[in-house]
Amino acid sequence: MYFRILKKDLKRKKTMNIILLIFVILSAMFAASSVNNIVSVTNGLDYFFDKSGMTDYFCAVRGEENTQKVNEFLDSCEYVTKYGSEDVFYVNSSNIKRGGEKLYDFSGVGILQSVDACYLNLFTSDDDILKKVEKGKVYISGASIRKSGIKPGDKLSIEMNGIEMDLEFGGFIKDALLGSEMMSNPRFLLNREDYEEILKDKTTAEYSTGKMYYVNHTDNRDFEESTAEISNCLIFNFTKSMVKMTNLMNVMIAAILLVLSIGLMAVSFTVLRFTISFTISEEFREIGVMKALGLKNASIRGLYLVKYFGIAVTGAVIGYFASIPFGDLLLSAVSKNMVLGNDNSVLYGTLCSIGVVLMILLFCWSCTKKIKKLSPIDAVRNGQTGERFKKRSVMSLGRSRLGSTGFMTINDILSAPRQFGMITLIFTITTAIVMILSTTARTLDSDSLLYLMMVKPSDVFISDNDLSMNTMAGIETVEETNRKVEEILSENGMPGDVWLETWYKIPAEFNGTKNNVTFLWCADTKTTDYQYTNGSAPVLENEIALTKQIADSLGCDIGDSVKLTINDKTDEYIVTGLFQSFTNLGNCGRLCEKLDIADIPPAMTFYYQVDFDDDPDEEVIAQRMEKLKDIFDTENIFDNTGFTKDCMGVADTISTVRDMVLILSLIIIALISILMERSFITKEKSEIALMKALGFKSRSVISLHTLRFAVVLAAAEIISAALCIPLTSIVMEPAFSTMGAIGKIEYKFDPLEIFLIYPAVIMAVTTLSAFLTSLYTKTIKASDTSNIE
Amino acid sequence: MKTILDVNELCKTYIVNKRQNNVLRNVSFKIEEGEMVAVMGPSGSGKSTLLYTVSGMDRMTAGKVEFCGKDISALKENELAELRLDDMGFIFQQMYMMKNLSVLDNIILPAIKSSKSKESRSKTTSRGRELMHKLGIAEIADNDINEVSGGQLQRACICRSMINHPQMIFADEPTGALNRTSSDEVMEELTKLNNDGTTIMLVTHDAKVAARCTRVLFIVDGVIKGEYDVDRESSERDRERALNNWLLEMGW
Repeated sequence: MYFRILKKDLKRKKTMNIILLIFVILSAMFAASSVNNIVSVTNGLDYFFDKSGMTDYFCAVRGEENTQKVNEFLDSCEYVTKYGSEDVFYVNSSNIKRGGEKLYDFSGVGILQSVDACYLNLFTSDDDILKKVEKGKVYISGASIRKSGIKPGDKLSIEMNGIEMDLEFGGFIKDALLGSEMMSNPRFLLNREDYEEILKDKTTAEYSTGKMYYVNHTDNRDFEESTAEISNCLIFNFTKSMVKMTNLMNVMIAAILLVLSIGLMAVSFTVLRFTISFTISEEFREIGVMKALGLKNASIRGLYLVKYFGIAVTGAVIGYFASIPFGDLLLSAVSKNMVLGNDNSVLYGTLCSIGVVLMILLFCWSCTKKIKKLSPIDAVRNGQTGERFKKRSVMSLGRSRLGSTGFMTINDILSAPRQFGMITLIFTITTAIVMILSTTARTLDSDSLLYLMMVKPSDVFISDNDLSMNTMAGIETVEETNRKVEEILSENGMPGDVWLETWYKIPAEFNGTKNNVTFLWCADTKTTDYQYTNGSAPVLENEIALTKQIADSLGCDIGDSVKLTINDKTDEYIVTGLFQSFTNLGNCGRLCEKLDIADIPPAMTFYYQVDFDDDPDEEVIAQRMEKLKDIFDTENIFDNTGFTKDCMGVADTISTVRDMVLILSLIIIALISILMERSFITKEKSEIALMKALGFKSRSVISLHTLRFAVVLAAAEIISAALCIPLTSIVMEPAFSTMGAIGKIEYKFDPLEIFLIYPAVIMAVTTLSAFLTSLYTKTIKASDTSNIE
Repeated sequence: MKTILDVNELCKTYIVNKRQNNVLRNVSFKIEEGEMVAVMGPSGSGKSTLLYTVSGMDRMTAGKVEFCGKDISALKENELAELRLDDMGFIFQQMYMMKNLSVLDNIILPAIKSSKSKESRSKTTSRGRELMHKLGIAEIADNDINEVSGGQLQRACICRSMINHPQMIFADEPTGALNRTSSDEVMEELTKLNNDGTTIMLVTHDAKVAARCTRVLFIVDGVIKGEYDVDRESSERDRERALNNWLLEMGW
């Protein structure tokens, strides 16, 4: 008998049971994929580093003499526990070509090496360790190279000092050290024979070879201080924590996806609870009849628990299997560059599915408490016992100026605040996520963060690797290369002032605390051109400004004198100001332009910056940028926005994630609108029939049902738009501060996107979903008033 | 007298599990303006189906129904909806009302919905209150629908059915869910309405209710077996006795 009642119930309330099953599937799917993603992402970087065999410190060295010095240092350093190295040679973007053109303009030096010389484990796109590269093939790491659009099978050529080698692109590799968006040093992996073939050229072997060192050490601070003595030998160096920082954007994207997953899970559970509570409250008649027949509360409760247990188990099993591709989809934006796995995904997935079943039974247990309250009289009185605790109707049709449909829409929403409040909350969360991502993408795609790069705005930024390399190698001075660029510009009819920001690695000491600080210096700008958070710009040659991070690491503050060793000469420099910067993840300082270090080769340079003499407008600048791309044979010619975007490296990825989240949000919103509207129709069947009997046309009923969702969404969109900037600030500022921005960030948003495009798209999808579902009300006829239960 | 409802050879067939169920078979009758006609018959005889079909709430299978001269079988769904809104009133056995509206708002809703109505919102509201006053339920105007008794609610349903000055009121067992006192009160109101000129067609099981009408149609297995004209001049008890005798003759 018990199971016959159940069977009948499942058959008769097919629609509501299917809706419930869908929500269970969604909950299980979101829960299993979200928890797996949480585990993957939170452990992600450590897992990736662990699998890759990352060490504590890395540096790149060029030339025999420098290599010798670094070897000696590492052999003698008391803090080094173990170190290894890779034989490499360095290339720049003009050495790697596709169809005779540069493959991609990477701003740093590229590292070319044989696969069997790899010290780190590098992974294929399938997360397998790359152990072998076939002859004639090349594998590449570095997220920025992906922008070239290169695909496996494409033909590339390496052209160096007269040697030209044709290679086939084998695929991208996941590289824990150099693979992130913020790294500008791609790695090219070749077969041993191909590698040696290129090295047959004596010039390459003599001037471009070097080593990459991987060092494990004991004391972090003492080791870093001791590296000051080899700082002049290094092309670049990183600590493990700095590499982690360069992956921060990947982690940030993963974290955004995590928030989304948790949001989706919360949405799903909320709707689930509502649906269970709603289905039980609608069953007053059955419950009343069962009580009238003498069934005890426990038996009735058991009946519902068995029913929901059946639905929950079915949904959880389907949801678990659906979570596997869904989780992969969520992580796809991150897993391109990282090995994001966890060894217990099946266990976590299963536990989550069991968790969903238990959660549903818990919901059901709490919702079925109501059964005690329902009496046999409910079966007779259609659930109306005359007991009332609060007034349902909140508006008066007689006093309202709204039309009947508009009035009923608003009145229905206000009369069921919990129900529609929940839908509003869900819509607000999903819309806000899209808006936050849009604002972040827009901010990263503007020049509002330019000041955080610690550069002065200019008309254009020009990347010329050859000239930059010359300054770093000491072949030419910065002043000389600046004049060269000015001459090229004048010859092409666009004269202007040219300057170049340079980086110097300078050992610093304060009260016995040492640090190897990256200092920015530019002879052609004034330190007052930059922004400072505290104090003032250094205006004398013995004055400096530091980031808060560096000042904290040295333990100094404004007014203190810090010892700097420049060109083997140690002097005291007064700290006059503090600033914030993304440069070197906030670990940098600025020297006064009056300090004469022009003859010292910098460790690194930014792009050549140009201010045209004729003060051209944006249109002319855009035309000149196109011309400059041909003149300098590079795609890396930027305006302020482009330069910021290039430095941040993740604007495009954030935009991709935003689009993915938008699509996902639209699917979720559509699904919720469809399922909720369908349950409303079931719940309101008698009212719909009554409206039709009274003479309401089908279109009025459809309008009412569609409008309710439209109004609720409009409210959600207004709330989301109003909270957009504060929410973006709350969500994004921790990430930006980790990258070096300790103060307020001025967020940019596109009013068209935030106030029109996204709301309109979300509104269109919601309204369409609700409208199409509400067409089902056409099947309810006026005559159904005679056979409503 | 003007014919309000003219039913000719009306058939209604349902297909249930591939089996044809002829609920109404060639039913023909007329209702003149000012009449109050009761439809009686055993359960499952097709009384409610007849009411819903002739009022245009359900589609007929064959035959012709003219309401105020309009062939309702030829009308589209939207035209039927307009007809129900402006020219018909409905009272159901269960006192269906919109649960999010107050009693008064439920009553005036059809008037506000009607495109024919040109009166102001306040005029409609005061007319709704007048109707409620007339039926003795003025005090529940601002109450929610489940704050009032069944009898009060059914009288509110009568008010709602009257708000658009309909040509005819259709009532499906209007007293079926009420106790005797409430039932008498509701029938008293319907009789008053009829005396004021409103045409009414109602379905009932109750001979006492039917005895208040002017005519009774007796339907069995979808066929009208007989018609009985009630002598309204006689006393209520005599009318009831005479009707019961007739019903016995018909096999009730």
